[in-house]
Amino acid sequence: MILLDAGTSLRRAWIASAVIYSATSQFAYLAVVQAGGSELAAIAAGWIVASRFGILAVAITRIFRDGVLLKAVAAVHAFDINAGLGLAQPDRSRAKRAFWAATLAMMVGWFIGITVGTFLGDVMGDTQRFGIDALFPAALLAIVGNALRTRNGLVAGAVGALICGLLIPVAPAGIPIILSVGGVAAAIALERNDVT
Amino acid sequence: MTTVAIVALAAGVWGQRLAGMFLVGPLLDRRPVLAQAASLIPAAVICAVIVQLSIADGKSLVIDERLAGLAVAGVLVWRKAPFIVIVVAAAATTAALRAIA
Repeated sequence: MILLDAGTSLRRAWIASAVIYSATSQFAYLAVVQAGGSELAAIAAGWIVASRFGILAVAITRIFRDGVLLKAVAAVHAFDINAGLGLAQPDRSRAKRAFWAATLAMMVGWFIGITVGTFLGDVMGDTQRFGIDALFPAALLAIVGNALRTRNGLVAGAVGALICGLLIPVAPAGIPIILSVGGVAAAIALERNDVT
Repeated sequence: MTTVAIVALAAGVWGQRLAGMFLVGPLLDRRPVLAQAASLIPAAVICAVIVQLSIADGKSLVIDERLAGLAVAGVLVWRKAPFIVIVVAAAATTAALRAIA
């Protein structure tokens, strides 16, 4: 839906969502493009945001120990919900079952969601009137909500947001988002300070 | 969105997932500080994207109806509301304020 907002064709928007298989990466890319940033900066922003999935894949290595193909399929499907459900199970066989059940439900939901979203975006025309542009930051906030409940996550997020906000008026578009990883350094430095 | 961008983003997402499973997972087991740093990147960068999408207009910072929607979302996230409630409430708040203005 946000892709249509940015002037991408219907079919291309659907394909992008299906192929990239990540809403957050698309949000990051488009945030930079809409701000007038270069293609390279936009892709870089999408990549950094996608590190979330690398981390989720790392987390589920505890559930999936053997079978290269099985591990690969699990890795590309790891999202917060199925990984969280899987890791909450007491043993590995139950963890696997919970993971795949949640994965199937989410996959169906994702493809229904992008299809409905694509056509809805087309039918609605002026999506701004319906506040659709406010929907995306809200979705991101919901995604990052759990991380912000930990102290380190909150510091990293707040400093990252601050860096971005301060740099937007002065730096080329896209750079503020990329440099926001400095929030991580702030969180770790603060924690070190506490310990000593 | 260009084809190059679609391919590059897909490579970034799929590649990092596979790298996480097969390379980084075993590596980070031995380096806890690195693991901690990596786990904090999404929080920092996603918050930055939120800022970009909610208060930036080109190169200037503006406070408009989008921020009100985000504030409502913030309260709902804090109260652990369901995802669909959060996004619909945010969009509705922004749309309502625009309708009044």
